[in-house]
Amino acid sequence: MSTVLTKSDYGRATDEIYGLIAWIALGIFLIVVGLLVYALVRYRERGPGELPRQIRGHSLLEIGWTIAPALVLLVIAIPTIQTVFRTQPTVEPEGALEVTVRGHQWWWEFSYPALGIVTANELHLPLGRAAALRLEGPDVIHSFWVPQLGGKRDVIPGRLNRLTFTPEAPGEYLGQCAEFCGVSHANMRLRVIVDGAEAWQAWVRLQQAPPAADAAATEGAAVFAKSACVGCHTVRGVAAGVVGPDLTHFGSRQTLAAGLLPNTPANVLAWIQDPPAVKPGVKMPALGLSPAEARAVAGYLASLK
Amino acid sequence: MTVAALTERVAARSAGPGAPPAAGIRSWLTTVDHKRIGILYGVAAFAFFLLGGLEALLLRLQLAQPNGHVLGAQTFNALFTMHGTTMIFLAVMPASNAFFNYLIPLLLGARDVAFPRLNALSFWIFLFGGLFLNAAWLVGAPPDAGWFGYANLTSTQFSPGLGVDFWMLGLQVLGVSSMLAGVNFIVTILNLRAPGMTLMRMPVFVWMALVVQFLSILAFPTITVAMIMLMFDRFFGTRFYDVAAGGDLHMWQHLFWIFGHPEVYILILPAMGIVSEVVPVFARKPLFGAPVVIYSGALIGFFGFGVWSHHMFAAGMGPVADAAFAVSSMLIAIPTGVKIFNWLATLWGGALRLTAAMHYALGFIALFTIGGLSGIMHASPPVDLQQTDSYFVVAHFHYVLIGGSLSGLLAGLYYWWPKITGRRLDERLGKLQFWLFFVGFNLTFFPQHYLGAIGMPRRIYTYAAEPGWAFWNLVSTVGAFVLALSFLLLLVVAVASLRAAATAGNDPWDGRTLEWRTSSPPPVENFAALPPVYGRDTFWREKHGDRHGRRPTPAPAPPPGPSHLPSPSRLPILVAVGLVVAAAGALVSAWIVVAGLGFAVLALFRFALEHHANLAHAHQDGVTGVDHRKLGMWAFLGSECMFFGTLIAVYLAYKGRSVVGPRPHEILNIPVTTVSTFDLLMSSLVMVLALAAVRRGDARQTRRWLTWTALLGLIFLGFQAFEFTSFVREGLTLQRNLFGSTFFVLTGFHGGHVTLGVVWLLTLAILSLRGRLAATDAVKVEVAGLYWHFVDIVWIAIFTLIYLIP
Amino acid sequence: MSTSDPGHGEHASVATYIKVALVLTALTAIEVGAIYIRALTPILIPTLLVLSLAKFSLVLLFFMHLRYDTRTLSVVFVGPLLIALAVFLALIALIGAGMAPA
Repeated sequence: MSTVLTKSDYGRATDEIYGLIAWIALGIFLIVVGLLVYALVRYRERGPGELPRQIRGHSLLEIGWTIAPALVLLVIAIPTIQTVFRTQPTVEPEGALEVTVRGHQWWWEFSYPALGIVTANELHLPLGRAAALRLEGPDVIHSFWVPQLGGKRDVIPGRLNRLTFTPEAPGEYLGQCAEFCGVSHANMRLRVIVDGAEAWQAWVRLQQAPPAADAAATEGAAVFAKSACVGCHTVRGVAAGVVGPDLTHFGSRQTLAAGLLPNTPANVLAWIQDPPAVKPGVKMPALGLSPAEARAVAGYLASLK
Repeated sequence: MTVAALTERVAARSAGPGAPPAAGIRSWLTTVDHKRIGILYGVAAFAFFLLGGLEALLLRLQLAQPNGHVLGAQTFNALFTMHGTTMIFLAVMPASNAFFNYLIPLLLGARDVAFPRLNALSFWIFLFGGLFLNAAWLVGAPPDAGWFGYANLTSTQFSPGLGVDFWMLGLQVLGVSSMLAGVNFIVTILNLRAPGMTLMRMPVFVWMALVVQFLSILAFPTITVAMIMLMFDRFFGTRFYDVAAGGDLHMWQHLFWIFGHPEVYILILPAMGIVSEVVPVFARKPLFGAPVVIYSGALIGFFGFGVWSHHMFAAGMGPVADAAFAVSSMLIAIPTGVKIFNWLATLWGGALRLTAAMHYALGFIALFTIGGLSGIMHASPPVDLQQTDSYFVVAHFHYVLIGGSLSGLLAGLYYWWPKITGRRLDERLGKLQFWLFFVGFNLTFFPQHYLGAIGMPRRIYTYAAEPGWAFWNLVSTVGAFVLALSFLLLLVVAVASLRAAATAGNDPWDGRTLEWRTSSPPPVENFAALPPVYGRDTFWREKHGDRHGRRPTPAPAPPPGPSHLPSPSRLPILVAVGLVVAAAGALVSAWIVVAGLGFAVLALFRFALEHHANLAHAHQDGVTGVDHRKLGMWAFLGSECMFFGTLIAVYLAYKGRSVVGPRPHEILNIPVTTVSTFDLLMSSLVMVLALAAVRRGDARQTRRWLTWTALLGLIFLGFQAFEFTSFVREGLTLQRNLFGSTFFVLTGFHGGHVTLGVVWLLTLAILSLRGRLAATDAVKVEVAGLYWHFVDIVWIAIFTLIYLIP
Repeated sequence: MSTSDPGHGEHASVATYIKVALVLTALTAIEVGAIYIRALTPILIPTLLVLSLAKFSLVLLFFMHLRYDTRTLSVVFVGPLLIALAVFLALIALIGAGMAPA
């Protein structure tokens, strides 16, 4: 999750100024500590003797070491201001893909209005195309941060914040909520998957398709449909709850519980049976399903590719 | 030697010539001696520091490995909240106060502070406030929303339970302590300087203290407003931070950081002041560019009010605000850098004695430079957006707070320990203690820069193995234990010193400033005779002469007159008890709040009247030519500008944002309010007539005009009560909408100020009635008048901005 | 110092105070009147601000005696007043931009 080996235009713009300031900082540090150490060695009292020269000050030096830092700061300030304005465009780039990011306690909702897709915790983006994220939230302040794709932006209820960047390399990028948002703040993770053109088309088609109907999972589907699950979750055509993540294509995700666990049958089973044990404070309660019912539901969820 | 025996020894040595030694617990509970209060602050600060340190060790244990199981999520969140709150408000600030208290009168050549009982009151409010805050642990409801508690996580919806209430009430109580101390030290520094000590001849430490006091009285009002709004949301259902009602969550952040940024200068400037004293002494040269260091400190304080939103670069304020605050934050680096260069130039060409104190001072320079440089990185929004809310910023602020503030305070401890206790600290062990601290500190926090750079967010109770954070977290944890060990060693060094004989002598370091001119520890009256002041570094000048070696002609000793020493009082601790009982009562029952406040008010009355008839207190003139009480009131009114300015700004910022009605133009009654405004203006006229009367010694007219002022005030309150009740009848309540919340809180607090004024004036009127208000008491009427007129001009602003402007 | 009221130069006379009170009354009347005069609407806000600033200053300088007192008091109060004003203006400017539709 490096903040300096970034893979987006936004990240690169930051890297440039990050590098500039870091090198300047290192230089100043070496000068200051160098002078300090030199003074310690050279001017150490070597025995009681005459008082050293009682110099009180030197106007020229004062002017000098006021102007010098000011110039250094100017060198830092100008590209800073330029980058601030460049990375917060007033108009979205042509052809940008609009994504609505809603931060909930403690999971991420991603929807693509133009594509009719709603998913959670794993954000797929096409390589080389601008992604215009609109950040909003229904509960408390969160912060969307995928370090390798650039700096963070807060999700603030009642406000619309934007984050725009173009991913420049395919791959998987880990992210995490970066504003303390309650008990399971540490467990509000996400990943961004940047797909090449073909992979992206395939993913979009998959997500737009109706939920897979697996004959082997009909029992689980039935248990799901009559359990409390449907009160909170959406599976298109089956359930329309909006409190928890959309599960229509849950089976195709790599992780569950907002990046906490790999999406394996064992983990899904453990989750369904006792969510608070996995994720403190989670709003999803243990549903009181019998082990057999839980296994069936887990199988059904896995089938929702 | 036992603590009790030590207390006796210190007490005996502190007693004035011929005065009976003050001993026992009772003497400590009623002390008003700045030196004792300083020791009390220091001991309490150290105890809270150990508590905060323990909390940190637990945090580090949990984070030593991925998916740790040492602590649960909620406990971890409470621990980091309390660790931050404790270290800032209960450890570093009180430690600075310990040094301010002990040393400022000595450095100024004074016998005590301007308001000794107020000084004690500040301490007891701090102590009980800190205990109250930590009582949250005992009832199983520690605050867990972070030390800066962002709304709306702190709302009752997302933080039900008592934790946030403890935090909110505790900090408000602590704020009172800081405000009182601020006013006290401003008056002390301006008014109690020995003859010959102009402002520019004051030691730099005192200058930094003066800037810190102004920062305190101007920053705390804003967080008070933020907390009042939170308190009203939580207790009374107002809408300040209610998004659905039109509230803006940026509001909390702005108000908090308008306080929070000056707060960090409150935390660092004392340490910079200490370093500015220690380095010249152990370099045997004057501070290079002392006036420039002073001006830089003042500039940092002043401009510190213009950078706060650099804490909000991720919050989406827009590029213009981001750029503006980036520039202002970078500008502040200039005076900071200037100080560092001046310290280096002080070392240059000196004869450096590397005592333990000097180790810490030099450590400060190196470590604060690192913290300052990572701060400059944060000043650039694009970079900050990667670093903020990650372990990078955690590293940054620990470098400036521990590498900076704490190092400076420890330098001060080693430097002034002989003066305070009469004993020396073991230099060899002290240097070892420094190196253990230095190594432990860097081991703990340097890797955290890297952890932040590889994406580890802050305030997470655990983390996965996948991102590769485990190794450096483990290193950081090991470092934390080394750091802890260094403080254990400090305790050992300190205790060992106290057991030895008191042989430090007056001036063990060949010091430059006045505290070294008296005994170690000083007598209760500080100086047998007030010391002469020959310039900056006046004591050095006396011993070694000026730059050319010329010694000043000794000034004739002033005739030893009777020195009036402040007498002990039990009222400070009683007022503090009442205040904290009221705060605690807010969590339990309104009756306890009433009882606590009632008790505090009664004690305050006795406090105010305790020395009313004491002729020694009749005139409290100072160097500025202004009576202490008058100067103090003007300083306080400056802080009230911030308080009301913030409240009015909140009203105006939220204007037009109410989601439902009634709206201002539908309900505000301008004709009636015009009458009440006129009433208040006339009350100011009548007040000055009262002051003129008391100066003339005309008791009857004094009584008449005072009573009229109070009466006009009551009429104003009557109008306000009428207005409030009719608004409620028309459907505007505190909870109805943003307009109701902002209007009632603003005008309600103004009305509360008017009420306090009326009580004050009636008290003076009654005193006059009983023949206890003479011409010599004119300043008391004057001070009440200043308060009253100020409340009037706040209303002038409110009338125009809230009622008249559409 | 042993004068009974240190720090004062002259004192204002009772007559001065009454004149100030009359001016304050007049200014208040003008303020209130102004909001009813339609012609003033475009410049209403600056007008009201100037008038209230005048009232503010009169009370500060005369009733609170700042005009006659030592400059120290002016510094101690006006410095914080200016900081408060700057923060006040900044807060109003900063709050509000970027609000989302509910």
